[in-house]
Amino acid sequence: MIANNLRATLAKRLENTIIISILLVIYNLIFPIHNSLILFLINEVLVFGVLYFLYHYMNSIVETKKESPLSLILNSGILTALIFFIISVTDALFGKNVQENYHADIFNSLISIAIDFVFIVAVIYIFSTLRTLFFLRQVKDQSLYFNTMIIFFAITFFSDLSQVNLSLDFIHDAFYVVSIVLICLNSLKVSWIAFLSKKQKTYLLIISIVLSILFGINFSLLSENTPAKIFLSNFSSGFVSIYSLIMIYGMIYFGIIFFTTLFHMPTAEAFDRKSEEVSSLMDLTKLITQVFDFKELADTVTSITTKVCNSYAAWLVTKVDEEYELNSVKNIAYVDADRLTKKFLQKEEPLTSVNILDSSLLNQFNSGEVLNYKSIAIAPLKVHGEISGYLFAARRHEVNFDEEDKRSIQAFADYAAVALENAKLIAESIEKERLEKELDVARDIQRRILPNKIPESEQLKITAMFIPAFEVGGDYYDFFELSDDKLGFVVADVSGKGITAAFIMAEIKGIFESLAKLIISPTELLIKINEVLKNSLDRKSFVTAVYGIVDKKNGILNFVRAGHPPVIYCSEGKVERLLPSGLGLGLDYSNGFANSLKEMKINLKNGDIIAFYSDGIPEAKNAEYKDYGYDRFEKIIQKNCNKTLDEISNEIIKDLTLFSKDNTQHDDITLVLFRWYSDKN
Amino acid sequence: MADFNVNLRCFESVSIIDVKGYLDAHTAPELENVFNKLLNEKKFRVVVNFNELNYISSAGLGVFMAYIETMRQNNGDIKFSNLKDNVYNIFDLLGFPLLYEFYKDEKEAINKFIEQEKS
Repeated sequence: MIANNLRATLAKRLENTIIISILLVIYNLIFPIHNSLILFLINEVLVFGVLYFLYHYMNSIVETKKESPLSLILNSGILTALIFFIISVTDALFGKNVQENYHADIFNSLISIAIDFVFIVAVIYIFSTLRTLFFLRQVKDQSLYFNTMIIFFAITFFSDLSQVNLSLDFIHDAFYVVSIVLICLNSLKVSWIAFLSKKQKTYLLIISIVLSILFGINFSLLSENTPAKIFLSNFSSGFVSIYSLIMIYGMIYFGIIFFTTLFHMPTAEAFDRKSEEVSSLMDLTKLITQVFDFKELADTVTSITTKVCNSYAAWLVTKVDEEYELNSVKNIAYVDADRLTKKFLQKEEPLTSVNILDSSLLNQFNSGEVLNYKSIAIAPLKVHGEISGYLFAARRHEVNFDEEDKRSIQAFADYAAVALENAKLIAESIEKERLEKELDVARDIQRRILPNKIPESEQLKITAMFIPAFEVGGDYYDFFELSDDKLGFVVADVSGKGITAAFIMAEIKGIFESLAKLIISPTELLIKINEVLKNSLDRKSFVTAVYGIVDKKNGILNFVRAGHPPVIYCSEGKVERLLPSGLGLGLDYSNGFANSLKEMKINLKNGDIIAFYSDGIPEAKNAEYKDYGYDRFEKIIQKNCNKTLDEISNEIIKDLTLFSKDNTQHDDITLVLFRWYSDKN
Repeated sequence: MADFNVNLRCFESVSIIDVKGYLDAHTAPELENVFNKLLNEKKFRVVVNFNELNYISSAGLGVFMAYIETMRQNNGDIKFSNLKDNVYNIFDLLGFPLLYEFYKDEKEAINKFIEQEKS
């Protein structure tokens, strides 16, 4: 959009320029000699119009190249040389005869017009270049000075009335002189030179002196009565003034540039270094937002350090648990960097500012020991006032690190410290995100493992409730239809939390599903499962479980307990804790496990309730870290034993939640309730 | 989160670990570090004093299971002493007392080690 607008403006300006140029050409062909005041004035206005529109058009073109001032200057130089060439050639071709008798024939007119237009274009291009250079890198708005100068140029243009009345010449001369004064003033705006590199300055030094001389020659050539001068002054005397003013401008401006650059030369190197530092810091700033990898960032830091500090080698250490860990090296072997770090950072007070080990100190060591380094700078990496590591820069040449180096290293180290800290924080947050993802996976596994349908028969009612903890706790319950009459069930709890617990759960489910139908005795089943687990459980993991089989015809319940919390049995208003002996699964793989298991058999009576659950219930904690405990649990069952199973289950959870409301739920909660009805009803 | 603290003492050839506070999945690594240190120093006779331990989770129990086998293979053991009732109940439910030695007082546990050494 903007580019389109710009193009449209450019086209418009070019159009104007061409139209007025054609008008001027036609006018000059019709009236080759302007001998009356009216003809002269119309011609001057037309020439000024061409200059004005061309200047605007050129400005827009030159402006786009302002980032490469040297090429602009070179272009002006070529045009200046072209002017010089034309002046010389016309002088050689036409020589004296033009001076003496100038005939306004068609041939002369055409040549005159052609030469005039080349001059106009060249002069305007040079002027636009000078204008662009004037505004280059100006901090304040300087357009007032420049516009004043342009106004004086215009007045000078129109005040050349020598053809009309020679006595009015002084007006023209006065404005001419004022214009030159303004030119001198405006020529002093050359601050952009400072931003050039040393190489560019050298180049500018040569080109500016050549240009200054060339402008001077062009100016003097046209002051004499050369054929070119006659062509021009016949064409437009105002343009001759403008021409000479711009030649003077060029001569003065490039003369000043020559001397300024000359004086800038000694500091060019220092300036180069500073700008290198600045651009390195800018590179680093860019990296902070782009590079999240700590190692990559550390490598960049060391590599930029060698550039910024003009050093041979650089390395970076960060503090990890009071030890220094080498993160990145540049031009030095890991082992050497490690050795030097230990040598110079050992047991000293932490360095709070840049420390320089200069050649007088390093010379005390064997040169092999310090790898021929003549001077080493150690800069602390500080984040929030704490030292997170050190940046080393080592030089092999004889120049010690000076105060200036010290400052730049510190500035760089401060920047690097922030960047590295940033990378570290991002890595941590990614890790945190990964852990959360892992939790999601674990929860998902658990959700898929638990049964979504609870079996039921007319005489046996079952309800199951499961409340997961934030971190998966490893609870598992399941039902197995063993035959028409027999229902197997398990409530288990895997030790540990999170994804490992979830995987063990999945495994346990698989084992129970495959073995429950094959091994009818609960005791035998658990013994077999314990054997299978030997190969898959690690030493610190175990599983507690209650496994039982209930006969849906006669209400006979057989169960074994393997390290699991007691089964709560509520019969005729009385509550009992059933705790047959039994080791947890995975605790012992010898006969100890089989020997410890005692199977329990219960003949369920009408209305009996039996509760299987995980330790998430008795071990739920309140704000004072007191356990919910078995007594409260039994009491709430006893109190509600005449309600429906769902109601009892809700009452238990309500009571439990009330008790532990000021503490978070640490473990999964599983509650499976059975109720037996002797009669079919 | 509740605090956990672990301290290591020595009595002759027996190492005594005092555990304090809440031992769960988050604090278990601290105790593991102590056991690793003992293994490195080849000290296999360990008494764990639970006098000030208020709670132990399954992950906490797992720590003892992970190391007790190694200790026993090297003629050592982990013996448990001074357990509070609620903590003992957790061990008891799992059947730990069937596999490992529990004592009312750490002195008894230490003496047991010393007797073994003499015989």
